[in-house]
Amino acid sequence: MILHPGIIALLLTAVLVLGMVLVGAYAGAIVLARWDLDSSSEGQLALERKTYLLSTLMGHALALEILSALVLLYTLDDIHPVFVGAMCATGTLNANPVGWWALGVKILALFCCAIWIALNRIDQRAEDYPLTRLKYGLLLLLAPLLALETWLVFRFFLGLDPNVITSCCGALFSGSGAGVAAEVAGLPALPLMLAFFGGAALYLTAGVLALRLAQPWLRYLVAALALAMLGIALASVIAFISPYHYELPTHHCPFDLLQADYRYIGYPMYLALFGAVFYGLLVGIAEPLRRIPSIQGPIAAAQPRWTLLSMLLLALFITIAAWPMVFSDFTLQGYY
Amino acid sequence: MVKLRDVTRVYNQGRPNEVRPVDGVSLDIDVGEIAVVKGPSGSGKTTLLALIGCMSRPSAGRILVAGRDVAKLPERFLTEVRRETFGFIFQQLHLIPGISVLENIMLPLYPVDIGFSAAKRRALALIEQLDLAQRRRFKVETLSGGERQRVAIARALINQPRAILADEPTAHLDGGLSGELMRIFGDLRSQGKTLVIATHDPLVYDNPLVDRVFTMRDGRVLDDGDGDGGGA
Amino acid sequence: MASGRLGKHLKILEFALSSMLRRRMKNAGLVIVFGAVVFLLSSIVFLTSALRAEALAVLEGAPQLLVQRAMAGRHALIPLRYGETIARLPGVGAVTPRYWGYYYDIYTGANYTLLGIGDARLQAPGATALRLVEGAFIAPRQRGVCVIGAGVARIRGARIGGIVSLRDARGWMQEYEVIGLFESPSRLLTNDLILLAEADLKALFGMPDDGATDLMIEVYNPREVANISRKILERLPDARPIGHAEILRTYETLFNWRGGLLLAMFLGAVAAFMILAWDKATGLSADERREIGILKAIGWETADILALKFWEGAALALVAFLAGVTAGYAHVFYFGAELLAPILKGWSVLFPAIDLEPRIEPYTLTVLFLFTIVPYIVATIVPSWQAAITDPDRVMRSV
Repeated sequence: MILHPGIIALLLTAVLVLGMVLVGAYAGAIVLARWDLDSSSEGQLALERKTYLLSTLMGHALALEILSALVLLYTLDDIHPVFVGAMCATGTLNANPVGWWALGVKILALFCCAIWIALNRIDQRAEDYPLTRLKYGLLLLLAPLLALETWLVFRFFLGLDPNVITSCCGALFSGSGAGVAAEVAGLPALPLMLAFFGGAALYLTAGVLALRLAQPWLRYLVAALALAMLGIALASVIAFISPYHYELPTHHCPFDLLQADYRYIGYPMYLALFGAVFYGLLVGIAEPLRRIPSIQGPIAAAQPRWTLLSMLLLALFITIAAWPMVFSDFTLQGYY
Repeated sequence: MVKLRDVTRVYNQGRPNEVRPVDGVSLDIDVGEIAVVKGPSGSGKTTLLALIGCMSRPSAGRILVAGRDVAKLPERFLTEVRRETFGFIFQQLHLIPGISVLENIMLPLYPVDIGFSAAKRRALALIEQLDLAQRRRFKVETLSGGERQRVAIARALINQPRAILADEPTAHLDGGLSGELMRIFGDLRSQGKTLVIATHDPLVYDNPLVDRVFTMRDGRVLDDGDGDGGGA
Repeated sequence: MASGRLGKHLKILEFALSSMLRRRMKNAGLVIVFGAVVFLLSSIVFLTSALRAEALAVLEGAPQLLVQRAMAGRHALIPLRYGETIARLPGVGAVTPRYWGYYYDIYTGANYTLLGIGDARLQAPGATALRLVEGAFIAPRQRGVCVIGAGVARIRGARIGGIVSLRDARGWMQEYEVIGLFESPSRLLTNDLILLAEADLKALFGMPDDGATDLMIEVYNPREVANISRKILERLPDARPIGHAEILRTYETLFNWRGGLLLAMFLGAVAAFMILAWDKATGLSADERREIGILKAIGWETADILALKFWEGAALALVAFLAGVTAGYAHVFYFGAELLAPILKGWSVLFPAIDLEPRIEPYTLTVLFLFTIVPYIVATIVPSWQAAITDPDRVMRSV
């Protein structure tokens, strides 16, 4: 293990978040078992009051998840000099490959927490709390996910050994290497660029149509495209967006963007991307819930907001990503 | 304005110390009238007032506020109804010491979507109306009894409620001030507000301004309150 | 909509601040305890991150592989022909001899590192990080001159055109004219490094022509360092290869004393957590309870009270945090972390009394935030909620 204030803070935060979610899941299980809105008993009133605790706990948990995700990224980068062969976060993650899982599960948990909170917000707008069972059922699923995240984060950090000689982005994301990451890096830039910009255009079009027209399938389309864009965008970052930012055709790392050398541009870029995907997904996830009469109104009011936010965030992401393609002398031409 | 049907409030249900401060009460209060709930202390007046004012939920029965059944509403929405409909004057006044008259009066608007300056304008208008202008920066604990009462009234009016609920409002006032209070209540009625007053003070329930009197004993309403005024 | 919600939170925040001011005395106690915890933790975090940054700055320019010669474990000058042997190994690039040594100055009682600059230009550890602030570097074949770190200049009161006198191996005083001052991101370098011409340095230390202090080996593939070290040892049994990894590990072990320190820090955070959580949970006076009851009765909703409590906690934590961090910053960077000195004794061996470069990064502050404010806020969630669910009609019932 490497003793680093950031690591200890992350471990502490992971424990706090897990603790909050476990308390929340426990209270949620009680609510789930005894919930009866028709009852006027004091017990039911106590349950209703528990929902405030749950909302608060989950709100704090989400805020902490977001903050700790940023701190995790920075810490991965900050400790890389300890590992021989590491030049950025990739090298740190490779030093103990559990890290990749920890990072992935953390992002998944982040999305799940955010979706839970969005559902909770909608639910609280309706006098009959129609999503109560769904919400607390999901909470019971969320708790194991967060437990998994905490376990992985602990395993990753406790298992980091400075004696390990690691390989970094140069090896992992090299066009000539083997493995998924290398294959992505080696993807021909031109078709992927077309997919990226075409996909973005398609997404924005679908967004505009979903805003204008009432057809439900459009909103499912927005969600599906949002998910597709996540994959395409991440592949594009590795394949051609990052080389443009580094002005180096062979440098494909998605993590170096987070370094001071590149003005931390990775943070706003990834935040915009994940935000766009989240709101896009939300549009589709909420669609089937419109069948419930009491929340039909709030959802119908929120969906255009989410669609718009998602489109704006995606536009921001594209702006940041494409900036050097437009304004720098560097070009990947010849590497297509 | 408010309709109660077989409303019961039980505490500690099913336990040996179970009590029913309100037990099967049905009553109607019309818009723009002064209704009095009278009865000895412990007869359930305060609990009934809390039920009418959406402060707590009944254990059984229906409560209609402006035609809407609120008996089963979750607390969050019950509070919303209460904010929009009722203003309260408590027996102990329950002003918050250490802060000014103005701030005390504005407090109910803090959690509402109203801008600070709009809230302040409203409070200043009420301060003017209730003759507290000289006192608005004073801390409430430095005021006289009658002034405090008026601060409590202003606070009850700040959310522009359709009905004012008062619990033993004259308990700590002398005869002169009680008369003054009833005059203010009369003014409020003439502005179209409904008033519900819980009291055991004859100066209140025998006052000619009162339109309707309900008598409570052991959690039940004894008469249907059709007497007008003096209840002779 | 959003502006309405914002306005509502501003009003609640306003009330939170005013009610905190009303309970000044109680809150002052809390702020002091909290601030002290933040002070302690921030001192530790500032100190460790500054020391670590110093060490990394030194390491940044360090070669992949250094080869020294050890005779019966004692460091000895390494013959230049060793370099030729090593250069023939596959995977090895340039081999550059370095000439340097420590010099104890009896007049100032300070230890200096003297480094010889050959015509192959600067080869100091972290040489690339050296930045000339004044004057010039040593030109080829220039003799009797030196370039010193800004820190050395300050300690010795030397400036450009001044003289640095050093006693040579035969006991004679040698004088060197200062022709340049340099700076580097690490105070470690600027505070004790003196650059001399290579020939001057060899003469000063009385080094033979065919010996160097150590050899800097360029290794093309960092993963091959261990292999090449092994091969060097096979061919030159008295050589002592030191890999980049090994230097790092040395630093890591040095940093591992932090284990205990960080544990203390961790326990401190948990203790703060417990104390403040306890305080919040049990500290609601009858007065405060009554006030919350009144607010509920006049139309505040449970969520509004929760917001009130949140703002109260946030404001208090922020005040304590700012005070603690400011004090911690001053403590570490202006008062030499005096309070931590007893725990830090081990450092003085490695780092001769250096002033740390003041640095404060958003990251450090975020980490401190996670250590202090977050546990505090988390600890107050449940007590705040318990206060917030007061029955609205409670104040009516309690006559």
